[in-house]
Amino acid sequence: MVGQGPSRVNDAELIRAAQQGDHAAFEELVRQYDQPVLRLAIHLTGSEHEAQDIYQEAFLKAYRNLGSFRFECSFYTWIYRIVSNLCMDYLRRKQVRKEDSGMRTSSEGEEFDLLEQVPDERAGASPEHDLARRELGQRIARALTKLSPRERMVFEMKHYQGLKLRTIGEALNTTEETAKNTLFRATQKLRAALADLK
Amino acid sequence: MNCDWVQENIALYLYNELADDARHELEGHVERCAECSAELKALRVFHGEMNELPQLEVTPNLLTSSRMRLVEALETVQQQRGWRWALDPMALLRQMRFSPALATVIFIVGFGGGLGTMYRMSAALHSSMPSQQEASIAGIRNIVQEPGSNRVRIDYERALPETVQGSVNDPQIQALLVMASRSTANSGLRMDSVDLLRQKPDDPAVRESLVYSLRSDSNPGVRLKAEEALAPMVKQDVRVRNAMLESLLNDNNPGVRAGALKALATVSDDTSVRQALTQLAKEDPNDFIRQESSRVLAQAKSAE
Repeated sequence: MVGQGPSRVNDAELIRAAQQGDHAAFEELVRQYDQPVLRLAIHLTGSEHEAQDIYQEAFLKAYRNLGSFRFECSFYTWIYRIVSNLCMDYLRRKQVRKEDSGMRTSSEGEEFDLLEQVPDERAGASPEHDLARRELGQRIARALTKLSPRERMVFEMKHYQGLKLRTIGEALNTTEETAKNTLFRATQKLRAALADLK
Repeated sequence: MNCDWVQENIALYLYNELADDARHELEGHVERCAECSAELKALRVFHGEMNELPQLEVTPNLLTSSRMRLVEALETVQQQRGWRWALDPMALLRQMRFSPALATVIFIVGFGGGLGTMYRMSAALHSSMPSQQEASIAGIRNIVQEPGSNRVRIDYERALPETVQGSVNDPQIQALLVMASRSTANSGLRMDSVDLLRQKPDDPAVRESLVYSLRSDSNPGVRLKAEEALAPMVKQDVRVRNAMLESLLNDNNPGVRAGALKALATVSDDTSVRQALTQLAKEDPNDFIRQESSRVLAQAKSAE
């Protein structure tokens, strides 16, 4: 909104200034890119608290390593590379711990069922329909946890964040072709998991 | 183009990832082939189902608190030094000005030097360590043992309490005020320094510091003072305008938001401002902000 206005300063200038230690320039860069980063983190973790931690770690890591940024890719791709790695680490840790049940954690640390939070306000919504919708939501959440961290990441970046496969490949340090194959695998797995809904 | 190829690439078609020619051919194939047409339909249903998953969204509060937390953390973080530092030693010095503790030491030592304390400082280079009553040690920089002897040379920083007096127009005074406005420890000090810096919003360094305070200070009183100082600048400085817009949309204090709205009313012909006001007039939970946004918009329209 604000960051995308006509005053948007050239990224390269901001990066160079930030490389010289200019905090204000780095904060300007953060403001331009932090909303999608936070959105990706909150979708993948389902927790405001965890998403904030990933957000914080991603930008601190970016700041610490800004000196090694060589303008070989865009800052957008670079920050996505950092945040993707952090998100995949999170997913790996979570996979070891427990399955996702659709429960989410608020910033106050309270657990709640996200599916209970979304009222179905569409015309014709009925208790039966509402229940079916919740069940579907739970099944999707469970199906997503069956994907490997990389498959989950690619699916999230493509389906929910709308990134181009080329960008996804660059962010995951791989080729567009590999990202495409991973998306194909993820889609097949999810469709198989939801197949008996029909 | 055969069915196998279509089945493998139909997901890319839905995600708009196919080249125009491949897209055209796929559409033609699907029209002729019942099996691939059914697959496309099934995949569309699957996409619809996946979109049913409720997702947490980024709220303005979450975004603002994440930013504030990050700004605080950045105060204590340093960039990793690579080859750049060897080629550009000035970069290290520029970096130092954002490390408040070190900057304070450098400033005080430098300023103290200017006031004629050179004698004490040079004495410290050669003599044994002075007593704690005379000075406090701010940090040890370097320890070198002379080869073949028991003599050791230690370089260290001394932070001596100093007082400086002068006009608010004095660059040294301004530098200290800017430093104080960014101190995270004492909100009273930040408030006083921002209050004094209000008199000099034309100075680029002061203005940048005021923008920083408006965007990042955790104390609403400090943000309000910075906002008041910056308000006359919204017309001429887009960075100030952006900071005001951000406060209007995201600040968690209604007073700061109301102040930003008042300042931005003078630039209601700006597209971003108008867009923000339209959004706020429609859906802001705060009655005053909603009504005032509508009023400013109506006024702007009648002036056209």
